[in-house]
Amino acid sequence: MALAQQIQLQGSDAGARERARRIAGSPALIVVGRRLLSAIVVVWGVTFMTFVVLSALPNDTAQVLLGLHATPADVARLNHALGLDEPFPVRYWHWLVSVLHGNLGTDLEGASVNSQLAQHLPVTMELLAYALVGSVVLALIVAVLAARKPGGIADRVSTAISLLGLSAAPYVVALLLIIVASVELNLFPVQSNSLGSGSVLSFVQQGTLPAASLGFPLFAIFTRLLRADLLDQMQREDYIVTAKAKGISPWQVLVRHALRNSLYNLITVIGLNLGQLIGALAIIETIFSVPGIGSELLTALGNKDIPLIEGITLVFAVVTVLGNLLADLMYAVLDPRIRHGRAQS
Amino acid sequence: MAVPVPDATTLTPGPPPLPPLLAGGRRLRAQRAGRWLRLWVPAAVVILVLAICFLLPLVITLPSSTNGNILQAGDPPFSPGHWLGTDAVGVDIFSQLVYGGRVAFEVSLAVTGIGLVAGGLLGVAAGYFGGWADAILSRLLDILIAFPALVLALAIAEGLGPNEFHEILALCVFSIPSFGRLTRGATLVIRDHPYMVAARLSGTRGWRVIARHVLPNIMPGIVTFSLLGVGLLIILDGALDYLGWGIQPPTASWGNMIYNGYQVMTAQPEYVLIPSIVLVIVVVALNLLGDELRVRWGGQQ
Repeated sequence: MALAQQIQLQGSDAGARERARRIAGSPALIVVGRRLLSAIVVVWGVTFMTFVVLSALPNDTAQVLLGLHATPADVARLNHALGLDEPFPVRYWHWLVSVLHGNLGTDLEGASVNSQLAQHLPVTMELLAYALVGSVVLALIVAVLAARKPGGIADRVSTAISLLGLSAAPYVVALLLIIVASVELNLFPVQSNSLGSGSVLSFVQQGTLPAASLGFPLFAIFTRLLRADLLDQMQREDYIVTAKAKGISPWQVLVRHALRNSLYNLITVIGLNLGQLIGALAIIETIFSVPGIGSELLTALGNKDIPLIEGITLVFAVVTVLGNLLADLMYAVLDPRIRHGRAQS
Repeated sequence: MAVPVPDATTLTPGPPPLPPLLAGGRRLRAQRAGRWLRLWVPAAVVILVLAICFLLPLVITLPSSTNGNILQAGDPPFSPGHWLGTDAVGVDIFSQLVYGGRVAFEVSLAVTGIGLVAGGLLGVAAGYFGGWADAILSRLLDILIAFPALVLALAIAEGLGPNEFHEILALCVFSIPSFGRLTRGATLVIRDHPYMVAARLSGTRGWRVIARHVLPNIMPGIVTFSLLGVGLLIILDGALDYLGWGIQPPTASWGNMIYNGYQVMTAQPEYVLIPSIVLVIVVVALNLLGDELRVRWGGQQ
């Protein structure tokens, strides 16, 4: 009877209201909302801190622009025109307002920061994608081979290579690769000035060394993580026992079942390290003369080009925070084990 | 059931759990020997490098690491008076390695120490006391971690002058939040264990509980993280020196050596290879040591 009454009560609009309330109150949305809010706070915090730090530098921008023979009066006038002599909170407020309107300002050379970013950001992103995809694919292959026979040849070799990769910094790997591949074997060019413009072939030719320099340590970390996770699952999880009992071949058990769950952990780690990846990429871009935002940042820092530095730092911060957000989401919301676990408890 | 938080120690995963020790004879002795070697070989390498860098100059007078006689430039290894030869401007390579190693270890150990103490205290306080202090602190730590490393390092180098002390300052901005996050996670994990609850119920005051119960139990994870962190900081110090924002030439440092070697890389690759190989060996030893310690002590969790 109660059920019949309930069904009656759930008229069309009442049902819709109920559904909307359930969606709005769903734990997933609350988690996402809260994370998003703190992400925005973090991004704001980074830009604020950058502004503080950069403002603390002795600022002789006007002097640099005008050259050695400028009189103090000229310097003062340019300072006033550029708005550099206003108090710090005012300057930050101006910048913040213009950012919220989508305009990141103009850098010292007069070019718009937006256009600089639009020009250089894709190059970096392509390089990052190349490095990530390459290292993940290789890591998957090697980790599966190693986990198939723990203690076997593939396992030991991969462990040794991973240790080397973890311990070698990207810039050391870059220099060694240059020595071996470019100088001795003449396979790849030393400089990659025109990366990003041009054919796929030129991208591969110019991008392989930088991507490999970044990708080799990544490959090491991912292989280790995947291998540990796969072995952990193969030894401890019940569903593996079920799968084996069903008669599925060991390869299939490994690839179709264990690997899918390990990928969650892998993506989480990638997300958490995204910010540092871009930082490492900056050094590699400098070594290989890749025209990406990393090397742009380094030159801007050298020129003390504050608007450009702020703009690029904003991009870095957004990428880092997005990476963290993605990792958090993967972990707290999307992983069905955790989602259902929560609902039960 | 608490959801396991991905803290820093799970991000660089260690080796898988040890296979069970077998109950007999030769195999058991071989396994035990293997474990002993896995701990003491890397430890010996690290101790040896530390001894060479810090103690050797006190015992033997090494050739200058900053000034060189241009007439002796390009000497090969095992020349008289120059154990590893000289570089392109005549400075002795071995003493550059020794003094550069000194600087690298000074920086990384100082930064790790400061991060451990400051970050550790902040993290433990945040994790143990919780509440709004924890929320604010976590946001602050997130902001510091998201802050691009290069900007701060360069800003400090430009504004205050690039030298070892300022480099330490800049790197501390990372090390403190890293340790903070780690200790906060570890504290959260053990906070509701029975012995902690018992300590609180028995009336022990906050800081006493922390000192007597929290700290001893999170120490193993923190020590292994520190070792891995020292390796990472040596690499970072090398990178900063390479870019010119850390130790300035002519003071010797591994990053400077690599940079100088890079200039003549096509003609004489050994000037890049020697410091790079030394760098890799030291960091590999530190990583192996950290891994082995994590395997030995981590089992308590």
